[in-house]
Amino acid sequence: MGTKWVPRLLLSLFLLVPATAWSIEIHGRSSTQLEWFNNDFNDQRQVEIGQYLRFSLTDIDKEGKLSFFGYGRFNQDLNNGEGFNARLYYLYGEYRNLFDKVDIRLGRQFVNYAAGTAIIDGGQVGLKNIGPVAFSAAFGRNVIFDLDGEGGHGGDLALALSAYLYGFRSTDLEISWFRKWDQWDVARDTIGATFKQNLFNNLKLYGNTRFDLTAETFSEVLGGVKYFPMSNLVLTGEYYQSYPTFDATSFYSVFAVDLYQEAVFRADYTINEMISLNAGYTSQWFGEGGRGHIYHIGCSLRPIEPLLINLEYDNNQGYNGKTNGFLADVYYDVTKTLQLAGGMGYDVYTRDVVLSDGTARLFWLGGKYRLAKNMTASLRIEDNSNERYHNDVQGRFVFNYDF
Amino acid sequence: MLLALSTFVTHFAVAQKATENEAQKEPVRQSAKESHKEYAEMKIAECSECHKGEGVSPNHDADWVRGHRTVADNPGSNCSQCHQQSFCLDCHSGGGIDPDLSTRNYQRDYVPRSHRTDFIMIHPIKALDNPQTCKRCHEPSYCNQCHSRYPKGSLHIKSHLMLGPNGQKYTAGLQEHATEARRNLQSCQTCHPDGDACIQCHSSGKTNPHPRNWGRIKDNYKDRAGSRVCTKCHLPGTY
Repeated sequence: MGTKWVPRLLLSLFLLVPATAWSIEIHGRSSTQLEWFNNDFNDQRQVEIGQYLRFSLTDIDKEGKLSFFGYGRFNQDLNNGEGFNARLYYLYGEYRNLFDKVDIRLGRQFVNYAAGTAIIDGGQVGLKNIGPVAFSAAFGRNVIFDLDGEGGHGGDLALALSAYLYGFRSTDLEISWFRKWDQWDVARDTIGATFKQNLFNNLKLYGNTRFDLTAETFSEVLGGVKYFPMSNLVLTGEYYQSYPTFDATSFYSVFAVDLYQEAVFRADYTINEMISLNAGYTSQWFGEGGRGHIYHIGCSLRPIEPLLINLEYDNNQGYNGKTNGFLADVYYDVTKTLQLAGGMGYDVYTRDVVLSDGTARLFWLGGKYRLAKNMTASLRIEDNSNERYHNDVQGRFVFNYDF
Repeated sequence: MLLALSTFVTHFAVAQKATENEAQKEPVRQSAKESHKEYAEMKIAECSECHKGEGVSPNHDADWVRGHRTVADNPGSNCSQCHQQSFCLDCHSGGGIDPDLSTRNYQRDYVPRSHRTDFIMIHPIKALDNPQTCKRCHEPSYCNQCHSRYPKGSLHIKSHLMLGPNGQKYTAGLQEHATEARRNLQSCQTCHPDGDACIQCHSSGKTNPHPRNWGRIKDNYKDRAGSRVCTKCHLPGTY
């Protein structure tokens, strides 16, 4: 038998390919950044070049159920001997709607439940479309980001199980259990719940709690109500309390602590397309008679379409220190491709009765230019004047490419 | 053969979609909630009108940063219809791939607006605020790493007597320590991560640091963490 059939067979296979091929979609952003700042730890000027990359690969299979996602950065110090630094935020593969019921995610990922939150190197499985309740489970190595890199040890793990209402328009309810290990010892054992209910077309009740199984106490309890008589007015009232419980592996877990409580009252009102206002008051109880009060007002102004001004003022009268200051930002769209911006901040703070007040001022200017539909470049320069520095100039230049 | 290959390559489509946030794919079956994927670029005022019409509370307003936790920590939430995980982690873990011009840096990390102007000097006041606020983003080890690099003399703690600009010493006579520690024990942990300073007064036979329900809950700690913490103060077999 001759071998001429081999190339003919291969050719016919290639001809078949267009009839069966599908298209993988790749989206993402590459962000190249040049940053200069004062390194507080050795008081030297530092210049770093950084590269961020975020990507998503979808439609890998014909049904579009398989996807990959990733996000990370690396930085290289150019002059201060800090060297190379990298951080991987997430990198995972996801298969959705297996049998129209199961979602699977494997790799480094961010998981968020009422009972606990973590970045894990592991897996998450979701089960849905089996009735009014859906389930989720996650397990993996607990990833901890430290000041300069990844911290943690072998045996740092996280496990979460959750059940939540699925398919209800006005009601959310989730109950979950979260356990964290620290070098193979159980550090956290928490049950959590979150709840939300919309009522009467103008009311929302919501709550959130965590119960620490080790300390047998509610480490956090939040209950609130939002009243929205109009689409542009929201009134909020909240009560929150917490016991600061510690990991069971921490020396401080055995200490008695005070209950912290706060009550929040807020109003958010959008007058029209040009003006929106917000104001809030937080009353704090620290235990043993300690009291605190936080006042906040803010507004957002758009006197003409290309111009946006944000202003906010905060006054924090704490039991062991006070802060008082404002932040202001201005954005101006010069053209469809060019945006200029600037802002300032001013804070006066009191640490204790012995010291005089400290002040901190910051001023910044920036601009963003759209080079093409998928390319932007921006520059931001900031100057700080405070108790530590008469002038501390820092900035960043960022080039983004979207694909 | 070349023609067939080129046909295959053209099917390997690379979309040139220039949006800053690429939303994730939606599940095939819709729940009773409206899918928000199409509304990712809509103005908030228009979202609020539709929400009010449907009896759902408006959100993504000025209070959203403070209040999003109760929505986001539900696995059934619809956040992922418009946001990728990078959106959360940029704020919570110092990333900066989608920064606004107003977003500040602290060295190579991006910081949220709550860090205001000079957070190095302001954070001691904020850290004595709601004890849970810092831990939304920071592990205790983050605080330890930073504090271990600075002299501890200038930290202005009420129960610690100043000894010049770079030194301080705990003084029981000032009588502030117990109240200060109970209100915010995390602050103590930032400089004394292993509690070695505490053991001098709070070990076995000395001032009892335990909560009132300790007799009921102490076995919970032994069951989970073994003797790791207990033996710092107690001899084996005595607890």
